[in-house]
Amino acid sequence: MIGADITMKFPLNSNKGISTLAVIISLLVIVLLFLMPNYVKSTYILHIMILIFINIVMGSSWNILGGYTGQYSVGHSAYFGMGAYTTLILMQFRQIPPWYGVWAGMLAALVTALIIGSICFRLRGPYFVLASIAVAEIFRVSALILKDITNVFEGTLTTEIPPLTINGTVITDFSSKVPFYYTGLVFVLIVILATWLIQHSKLGYFFQAIREDQDAAHSLGISMTLYKNTALGISAILTSLSGSLYALYVGFIDPTTVLSLELSVSIVLICIIGGIGTIFGPIIGALVLVPLSEALRSNMIGQSLISSGLVSAESKFGNFLTENLSHAHVLIYGILVVVVILFMPDGVLGFFKALSAKKRKETA
Amino acid sequence: MAILEIKNVSKFFGGLAANSDVSFELEQGMIMGLIGPNGAGKTTLFNCITGYYPPSKGEIIFDGKTMNGLQPDKVCKLGMARTWQKVRPLAKMSVVDNVMVGALCRTNSLKVAREMAMEQVKVVRLDHRANFLAGGLPIGERKKLEVARVLATQPKLLLLDEVMGGLNPAESEEIIRLILDIRKLGITQMVIEHDMKAIMRISDRIVVLNSGEKLAEGSPEEIVKNPDVVTAYLGSE
Amino acid sequence: MNIFIQSLISGILIGGVYALIGIGLTIIFGVMRVINFAHGDLLMLGMYGTYYLFTLFNIDPFVSIVFTIPLMFLYGGFLQKFFINRVLGSLPQNQILLTIGMGLIMSNVVMLAFTSDYKILSTTYSSSSVSILGISISSPLVISFAITAAITAALYWFLLKTDTGQAIRATAQDREAAQLMGINVKRMSIIAFGLGSALAGTAGALISPTYYIFPQVGSIFTLKAFVITVLGGMGSIVGATLGGILIGVAESIGGVYFGSGWKEVVVFVLFLLVLLFKPAGLMGKSNT
Repeated sequence: MIGADITMKFPLNSNKGISTLAVIISLLVIVLLFLMPNYVKSTYILHIMILIFINIVMGSSWNILGGYTGQYSVGHSAYFGMGAYTTLILMQFRQIPPWYGVWAGMLAALVTALIIGSICFRLRGPYFVLASIAVAEIFRVSALILKDITNVFEGTLTTEIPPLTINGTVITDFSSKVPFYYTGLVFVLIVILATWLIQHSKLGYFFQAIREDQDAAHSLGISMTLYKNTALGISAILTSLSGSLYALYVGFIDPTTVLSLELSVSIVLICIIGGIGTIFGPIIGALVLVPLSEALRSNMIGQSLISSGLVSAESKFGNFLTENLSHAHVLIYGILVVVVILFMPDGVLGFFKALSAKKRKETA
Repeated sequence: MAILEIKNVSKFFGGLAANSDVSFELEQGMIMGLIGPNGAGKTTLFNCITGYYPPSKGEIIFDGKTMNGLQPDKVCKLGMARTWQKVRPLAKMSVVDNVMVGALCRTNSLKVAREMAMEQVKVVRLDHRANFLAGGLPIGERKKLEVARVLATQPKLLLLDEVMGGLNPAESEEIIRLILDIRKLGITQMVIEHDMKAIMRISDRIVVLNSGEKLAEGSPEEIVKNPDVVTAYLGSE
Repeated sequence: MNIFIQSLISGILIGGVYALIGIGLTIIFGVMRVINFAHGDLLMLGMYGTYYLFTLFNIDPFVSIVFTIPLMFLYGGFLQKFFINRVLGSLPQNQILLTIGMGLIMSNVVMLAFTSDYKILSTTYSSSSVSILGISISSPLVISFAITAAITAALYWFLLKTDTGQAIRATAQDREAAQLMGINVKRMSIIAFGLGSALAGTAGALISPTYYIFPQVGSIFTLKAFVITVLGGMGSIVGATLGGILIGVAESIGGVYFGSGWKEVVVFVLFLLVLLFKPAGLMGKSNT
């Protein structure tokens, strides 16, 4: 008969969907998030929230292709970059306001995705991963070569975003972080809604079938071309949203930031940390990654170690920390990837699910 | 009315002829047994028929339509479904969800699909496992799940590849009952099996393959008495 | 015409070193079915090791291989035993992510320790060249090719003639069967990863007189290594040898005629074409 191991890995009841309690809490959180800028004026906190929102969108979009459909693209920066560059280029050179530019970015990402899909989907498993990396690298290297167009945004802040007016009333002139915050929040809601809709539709079933066993799915009437490309298309479009927002918010983009392998890896990391193939996974992943990398970048960890007296500011170690920890965030990514893969391959959520299933089994 | 015509089908892998000039027909509603020693080319033939790969030569005609080169998903939509020699459950999805994937071949509504799925789950007597993850099921139940899943696609022709492989006698008996019930529904079946007793019981006709070629075809009684068939089986051990 | 022959020859010479990288990667894949994304970073470690042996102890880079080979071999074995081994049964995607993570750790530790400043290892003969049949070829390239040829020959001998070598080939061909025959496949995996790392580190040592040395240099070579192994056929050592030379030549000639910026793209495009049309490569067994 089946041993305890199997039932631990495959708990008795597949708890699909989210409990009512979780939904209520989520709605409360959303309301709070909408109200937050009224009460919290710290620009730094708003900044962190915006970064978290961007990361959630990045992770959740990837999740649709990687988590649900099982196609691990490690080249998603291509779509992020397409969104970023399209939106900024249109605004800078054609004075097209970003609320239209974003749509162009999505279209560009979609076209890119369909081209990439036609090449990469003929391959499976690790070969697909390699091809996705190679294609993204082609984009990055090409962008580096086409400096005239793509490096214009290097070191120069973009021209100010035109004020958003409706019926003649100025809603915002984008001089504060608040409009970016709300845009980010709205994008997050869009992505989460998209994921939820997919999960509860025929698409969700077919995507997961492809992930579980491609040949079986194929033989059950699921067209690989149609559904894989649909997953990729949706994923690419949503990823481009995060790219566009990032570009508009930061105003400073170059191929090394928005088209890099490092970015692609961090996108995957967001999902892996939280838990692939779940709605909340990318959220948790973003909540872990963003504060961590910010803490490193801004030297918070180094400073707090020094100010708490654990490390002397004059000591060699202290100097080392202050100088170098800010560059260490990629190192931390690497360590996180290794730790998660080795010890928590199903991510934080998966880890806790397995733990609770084990408890349930023991008390049953 | 011949629902499936296999005409001079050959399949080569490099220099190896896995199937060589195989021809036979299936009548609507019958159960055809496909037997032969290991490596005879039975699963290869299934794969060719269902579009997993195209035949190197020959024609496959289903319901009057030529199937050569059609992708497996189109084949399924046209009404031909198959199970796999090594079961392929969608492990991280529940039993019901597995069968729903099959049902979604015929409907876009999740609600209808779920109803169709539960029906098939009941047919194969897996209702007590409906919400279990497929990956946690023992082999016998996985085989039943696979049958339920393909039944949900509402096939006209069902190809069963060693669906009794690895089962104990009680489980095999359940499958046999299932196959006979499926016949009552009017679904045509082609069954690859090594269990000779089972094949004799369920088949209307039997085709014997050996080393890629069709060795013999006939009723179960004829096949059992066929000296070539006996040699093929005894000789290959 | 002269330029063509010159770039052809340099291409072949550098291709020899590329072959070493590819062979290392393909051995690892052959024995463990793991796609080692940290391969280029192992090369990078070889470069840095060679650099410091040279600047601190004045050991000539080509001589220091004597140290690089065993050290990298041990390091590789350590990595396999404590990290890679744990994911041998997991999804290939997880394996790739693990090696990506390991690569990130290696390159970033080096960056923290030695900064990202470009380092240059110049020996007295770094820019000298010899003239063979009227064609001028860089001396370091000739020496490294000679060493590469020697190492490759030694490797072929090892794999064909020694017990361990044959055991490794058996494991690569059919892990289960090899295990049934009494081969300690775990040990073979450790040796294979050690070998692969040693080859990568050696390649790094060999090109250190002619390449900029910086922490991120690994990623360029990782992707190149993949092109080589996919081109030659994953798991085929002969294929990797040929693939290395082919890529060396393609890059060299591509660089001359398209400009050095686009030559990277040439390599990637080649990669995709091979993946699409002949994923089994020139000589390889396919593996899904």
